[in-house]
Amino acid sequence: MEPPYLQVSFRPNVKLVSTVRKFTEEFYEHMLEDREVTDKLALATHELLENAVAYASDGETGVRVELANDELVVKTWNRISPERLEALEQLFIEMNDSEPDEYYQMMLRKTAHRTDGSGLGLARVRAEADMAVTYEVSPGRVCILASTPIKPKVGGK
Amino acid sequence: MSLTLEKLVCDAMTADSSIDGDQIRMVLEGTADTQSRAELDEYVGKLHGEAQRLGTKIVHVDLKELEFMNSSCLKIFVSWLAQLNDLGPDKQYKLVIHSNPKLLWQRRSLAALSCFAVDLVTIESA
Repeated sequence: MEPPYLQVSFRPNVKLVSTVRKFTEEFYEHMLEDREVTDKLALATHELLENAVAYASDGETGVRVELANDELVVKTWNRISPERLEALEQLFIEMNDSEPDEYYQMMLRKTAHRTDGSGLGLARVRAEADMAVTYEVSPGRVCILASTPIKPKVGGK
Repeated sequence: MSLTLEKLVCDAMTADSSIDGDQIRMVLEGTADTQSRAELDEYVGKLHGEAQRLGTKIVHVDLKELEFMNSSCLKIFVSWLAQLNDLGPDKQYKLVIHSNPKLLWQRRSLAALSCFAVDLVTIESA
């Protein structure tokens, strides 16, 4: 049996992020037992999608939520410039060098005086949603993946 | 004492403030995300100015009807606390944040916020 998934793609538009978060949250509630987990997943989906929309200069962005082997993966994608990709790679090096809570607190201290966005999104996904965050690159496009072990709802699959 | 601060109405969020004795109470409702970030940032800046003008010692922030807050709007609170921290003790005021235990994101996000400024912020769960 194919693993259950939900996929939504759209032209980058910040107004759609909350709409898609609410839509995916209903999917999580349908599939999962634990309300705390669904809430964390909704937060992660929102943060990842906002990043995807913010950095997608054009083209298409979207989210795919897939439940397989007792793990749930939230994947977002967008087009990316070489400069932005370099910055993203550096961000992951720094982020993976610290524990999630420690890195999040460091980013909270840093962001207080930032003027170019918060820089908190991925740190928040790791620390508050308890999700592992990675990325995959294909020509001109980046995918951010956040994953967590989950317990599917009986009859939800 | 009176506040010179008009109610903020965005697409998905409202912010309103009032004087409560010698304290200020700000109520946020709806969804605080990228669409309302700039307006909320400006609003909080004005509120901070009013709190200083009035010599307020406590500002209550009521988030009980705030369904969601993204990281850009969370940053507004971080910057607010950093500004407060930079003030001399005689000019500082404290934030009392009133949260809703049914909105689970609040417990995690507000815990992170309180760790950032332990002496300046208190979280109350209604």
